[in-house]
Amino acid sequence: MNIEEHFTIPAPIERVWAFIRDPDRVAPCIPGCESVETISATSYRSTIAVALGPIKARFVVVVEITDEKPPTRLTCVTKGEEGGRASMISATSELRLVETSEGKTEVHCTSEVSIVGRLGKFGLGIMKKRAAHLAGEFAGAVQQRMQVANA
Amino acid sequence: MPSIEFQRPKTVEEAVALLAGHEDSRCIAGGQTLVAMINAGLVAPKFLISIEEISELRSIENKDDSIRIGAAVTHREVASYVGLLGSNQIIREAAAVIAHPAIRNFGTMGGALAHGDPASDYPTAAVAADGTVEIAGAGVRRTVAASDFFLDYLTTALEPGEMVTALILPRASVGSAGHYLKFSRVDGDYAIVSIGVTLTLSNGVCTRACLAAGGLGSRPLWCAEADAALCDTRCDDPAISRAARHLLDIADPVDDVRASADYRRALLPKLLRRAVRNIVSRQDAERADG
Repeated sequence: MNIEEHFTIPAPIERVWAFIRDPDRVAPCIPGCESVETISATSYRSTIAVALGPIKARFVVVVEITDEKPPTRLTCVTKGEEGGRASMISATSELRLVETSEGKTEVHCTSEVSIVGRLGKFGLGIMKKRAAHLAGEFAGAVQQRMQVANA
Repeated sequence: MPSIEFQRPKTVEEAVALLAGHEDSRCIAGGQTLVAMINAGLVAPKFLISIEEISELRSIENKDDSIRIGAAVTHREVASYVGLLGSNQIIREAAAVIAHPAIRNFGTMGGALAHGDPASDYPTAAVAADGTVEIAGAGVRRTVAASDFFLDYLTTALEPGEMVTALILPRASVGSAGHYLKFSRVDGDYAIVSIGVTLTLSNGVCTRACLAAGGLGSRPLWCAEADAALCDTRCDDPAISRAARHLLDIADPVDDVRASADYRRALLPKLLRRAVRNIVSRQDAERADG
């Protein structure tokens, strides 16, 4: 399943990059993110809860940054599972930052996600809508936090 | 699979107390969706409360100003209930095309509403019928308009500890008609797109309309602008096209195995026109007979 999202943050590219590369600041913006633990400078372990009506899941994922060119590009591989290996998720993602003329930064995310197990039986169409919705929440939270930091 | 505790209360009050008193509890009626979801590992309730023996949920009451369909009334019972006339015929028609006969013998009004699947048949029909969902919680009963009840995929206005007790339909007015049109790949499948229409026609002029569409977003589509586009018209093609455009403005369909999002969008105006024409020609035929 391919997911593509983009959003604009009203801040210069260096500040957006610094924010996104700081797990302690970015984690509270990720919907359902319950914890982040730094394993190394390029890998993190996180617990993320997602729900769709009565269907609830909690994934423990490891995010490994595979390549980065500050402050414009980052690629990472995410692997994780629910307790009891009920479903497994893996994703290859790319994040690109583009500074637009008026000191705003566009953030582009593309992700190739695969889910197997119990949640793999669920409709991909709805999952994609859900992912887009979560990306929107994430963008809103980043904007809000960066604006608070500006003030 | 972990064991599930099972209770069969006799009253709504007992059922609500059991719901409130147990974590991970759910109501079960026909179980046609819930059991499949348990089997697929998508949900894992620890406590199931059967509502099948609650007599007030098992009947259809035809009152002076409304019709109340209890939550445990099966699709088959609704499909064969002759008291659903005029605009309320939409609910009969929807019930008759839910899945297969075996599922219609077990599946219920309450289960289908509480599940809140926007591709299923009752939500769209209930919105177009201007229905109201009756809900029971600890010590209280409340009602929510069907157009406000469905919030998101599998998400409704039900709060924890609450259950659906009935769908309440307004009494059908003179000259009103209702129609549910489902477009699916094969009989018994979920809708690719479905249309619910209730209209009141007076000498060929639409005096009241309520349009809803399923399969085109996270909840049944409904907007006052679409209804207004049909009112005070003779339900001609330009009026139907205007109504369809208003519904498309709020559509957000998915790509899935049944159809692409673009295909679903393309279907909406065509099916809406077909549904409205079916009603108009049906009424013309009735006038000719009468």
